[in-house]
Amino acid sequence: MIKLLASRTFFQSILVINLLLVLLPVFFLFNSSLRESNEFARTPFALARDPFWENYQRVWSEGEFGSYFLNSLIITGGSLVLILILALGAGFVLGRYTFTGNNIIFGFILTGMLVPAKLAILPLFIQLNWMNLLDSRLGLILVYTSAALPAAIFIMSGFFKSLPVDLDNAARIDGASEFKLLSKVLVPLVRPGMAIVAIYSAIPIWNDFFLPLVFLQSPEKKTLMQGLTVFFGQYASQWGVLFAGLCLAALPLIVLYLILSEQFIKGLTAGAVKG
Amino acid sequence: MSSALRRDQNRTTRALLIPALTVIIVFTTVPALTTLSYAFFSWNGFERSGLAGFDNFQRLFQYPYLEQLTAALTHNTIAFVAIMILQTSLGLLLAYAMFRVKRGLRLYRVVVFLPVIFSLVVVGYLWQSLLDPYYGPINQIITAVGFPELAKPWLGDTTTALPSLIFINLWRWVGFPAIVFLAGLNAINTEYIEAARIDGASESQVFRKIMFPLLAPSLTIITVLTFIGAYEWFDLPFVIGGSNGSPAGATDTLALMFYRTSFGSIDSGANDVGVGSALGVLIFTLVGLGAAIGSTLLRRREVEQ
Amino acid sequence: MKISKIRGLVAALFAAVTVVAPGASIASANTEITFWSWRTEDKAFYESQMRLFEAKNPGITVKFTPYLNTEYNAIVATALTAGKGPDVLQMRPYGGMANLSDAGNFLPLSTTDVPALKKLPAGILAGAQGYKDKKQFGLPYAVSALGVMYNPDILEKAGVGALPQTWAQLQSAFDKVKKAGFLPLGNAGGNGPALEQLHATVGPTFYGGTAFFNDVVAGKKTFTDKGYVASLKAVADLAKWMPANYQGIDYNTARGLFANEKAAFYIGGNYEIGYFRSLNPSITIGWFPAPKANAGAKRYVGTWADGAYAVNAKTTQKAAALKLINFLGTKEFGQALVDEIAFIPTAPYVKINDPAVKEINRWRTTLGTPFLNVVGFRFEAPTSSSILQPGFQKLIVGGTTPEQLAKDVQTAVASWYAPQKGKS
Repeated sequence: MIKLLASRTFFQSILVINLLLVLLPVFFLFNSSLRESNEFARTPFALARDPFWENYQRVWSEGEFGSYFLNSLIITGGSLVLILILALGAGFVLGRYTFTGNNIIFGFILTGMLVPAKLAILPLFIQLNWMNLLDSRLGLILVYTSAALPAAIFIMSGFFKSLPVDLDNAARIDGASEFKLLSKVLVPLVRPGMAIVAIYSAIPIWNDFFLPLVFLQSPEKKTLMQGLTVFFGQYASQWGVLFAGLCLAALPLIVLYLILSEQFIKGLTAGAVKG
Repeated sequence: MSSALRRDQNRTTRALLIPALTVIIVFTTVPALTTLSYAFFSWNGFERSGLAGFDNFQRLFQYPYLEQLTAALTHNTIAFVAIMILQTSLGLLLAYAMFRVKRGLRLYRVVVFLPVIFSLVVVGYLWQSLLDPYYGPINQIITAVGFPELAKPWLGDTTTALPSLIFINLWRWVGFPAIVFLAGLNAINTEYIEAARIDGASESQVFRKIMFPLLAPSLTIITVLTFIGAYEWFDLPFVIGGSNGSPAGATDTLALMFYRTSFGSIDSGANDVGVGSALGVLIFTLVGLGAAIGSTLLRRREVEQ
Repeated sequence: MKISKIRGLVAALFAAVTVVAPGASIASANTEITFWSWRTEDKAFYESQMRLFEAKNPGITVKFTPYLNTEYNAIVATALTAGKGPDVLQMRPYGGMANLSDAGNFLPLSTTDVPALKKLPAGILAGAQGYKDKKQFGLPYAVSALGVMYNPDILEKAGVGALPQTWAQLQSAFDKVKKAGFLPLGNAGGNGPALEQLHATVGPTFYGGTAFFNDVVAGKKTFTDKGYVASLKAVADLAKWMPANYQGIDYNTARGLFANEKAAFYIGGNYEIGYFRSLNPSITIGWFPAPKANAGAKRYVGTWADGAYAVNAKTTQKAAALKLINFLGTKEFGQALVDEIAFIPTAPYVKINDPAVKEINRWRTTLGTPFLNVVGFRFEAPTSSSILQPGFQKLIVGGTTPEQLAKDVQTAVASWYAPQKGKS
């Protein structure tokens, strides 16, 4: 028993070290965002005694963060909706039906995970232009959706596969159509999977600065991360304001993560990781 | 099954599968194939001219691109090896720790995964500030505890720049394998563990003989994703070192080189879409082959419970 | 929050409508033109100038958008290729946008459309012409000059009397400053382009200024010339005066050291002055041309036409765009450039009141020599800059030698520049 206790302390300390390594830099970020820029330049490593909320105010008004924020919200939100709808459908069909070509289609979809959008940026650019989707948030939503679908379908099909077959039969005996079976019976049961897909897809989309850089020309359509890079050029060396900008940019995902984390963990620990 | 059911199923299949497939084909597959095809044409800025055979590939392996290519490839490989070893083992350690610890588990789970949700812009800028040789707290702490010689310009020195980037990458990503391994550990049938314990196996034996083999599917996923991520590494090096891999190309990667060659940059003048696309073909082949071979080999290790 | 949300929603709806109906030009009284730049530092300045333009030209509104300097080329290239570029944009000098101008993306400007062009000397106009197609594509708006900026207060405290005229005197001034407890030099090694500008400031006196430039352009001399190697070595020699851990100190931190009066000298372009002042409005800045290598050498001020304003060949608002270009060529705008962001305008008959800028302009006209890399060798890849920028980073930490770096530059240029082909 002593041996067991000893190693438990060891593991506790590992986790505490990790906690410090993660939270201290984050605390530094937040703390520095509340300090006046010149004061920060003089003593970078001190506690913010008088929180200088003006930094945030400046970021919001001068940095036009309001509009960037909204654009990011529209693009990420729109993509998530589209991804979930499409992945639910495809995941259901590929996970629960057997038909010739199921495996081939599934394999084809998986290879989509190998192609980063960056590599195909030039033809995507020309293609979107030809489709009149350049400088358009819809165009970006479609590209992001396409990039996220392979993993999303993979995850959802795994969840659908793990549900007992009896549910299907019971529903069919009750006279439900296939579509009703999916929407009324099965979808509520794969909610953890949806939470995983939501977080897993939202993170790279919200955080992406590269595609908006290339595909969005109008300043009123710019996203948060894209705006941050310009913001840096403008407010170089105004440390407090820059840190406040970073905090504001990171906030929405943190909130989403905290809200969904229980579902997310539940979903992961439900054995979805079985290949 | 009844033909009515079959018809309903066929209808549903078409209705639900076709939209997803269409999106993927139009916005991923077609552009990907087109990029690969670009490598076989000659270009005038962004205007395509005639067929060029393997010309672009030849130029990719000559001056001035060859040097950049070998340097970038080396950096990607170093990154893959370092990240594979360090990130996976640290992730496994954290996962096992969370598996064993009961007190504070919810807090730890949230915190371990937290850096994964930050944007690379935030992570890059945050660590650039922390590691700043003049203003950064890290060097100040190092000096304060008595090692002023170790207070180096981490991101500016050509020898420490890449390792520093790898460290920052670790900080940002280690939560991911941790959570995946934790899920894998939780999925192990506790009967096996209990049976082994009753037979008198020590903790480390239980881990080595039972848990680790059953974690094979998680390991497969982590390995393949790490491989893909390491050879397509772009975001973090771009935010911190710019498209040229500052300092002096020490943080250059294949993806950075692709971007720089295809689009040009202020001071390196004109762009070369042909060579850039050839590089794209190279990267895609490398990643595709590696992922395919890797996952096939690793899947053989996977044991059914 | 709520109001901005509603505004945001309306904006989103409006944007959605314009997405669905592309190319629908609004035939209203209000013409809107877009104007892009890489000077995020000058956003406030340009915004106020655009309001002045709009007041003088009712019915035209200008949307000014700066982009991150390092991404500007990529963004402009993709936008122009897609036909979605701005109406007016800043154009990189000399070869910086050669492939774009050669592809016909810019509207050739005639002296009838833009009378201000008539008043500019040929050397300046060359900065905004094409590479293969020598038409005039832009109106150069500023001339930049390289020199040594200094903080008179620190020099006084350090007991530096006369301004250094020779390289040796500069070193002893550095020494005095260091002994007085200040940083001699704010420049650092974290940014390749900044090192290139450092070299372009102190280098010409070592390699022989305009005579050498002409020789290299004609193919009579190469970059492995003794004088050029010596100029590279001069940069390496400056490393010992840079702040501690200079390899890791980036561009903004380095400039901040001078602006916050921790460093006595900063070597570089006059365009830094505006930035220094924005960080520290109370700073006094002095300027002198780079010292001569030795008693027998000459002093030079590296100079070049730095940026021009161009018009998108595919613009739908040609008349309004040209009006903007002409506004940007006026004496008043030139005056504002000098007064507010310490640029040296190309517009003639501008009164320079700022003592630092006055000094700069005075020396520039007599000692000017072209910024070698920018003026001569930016047209094709690999540019000399692309070799020198990382090369200098290696040089100052001993990762390469001046001789090797010179050889690398020569190899690069000789690979595409006809008069140098085959020479080493």
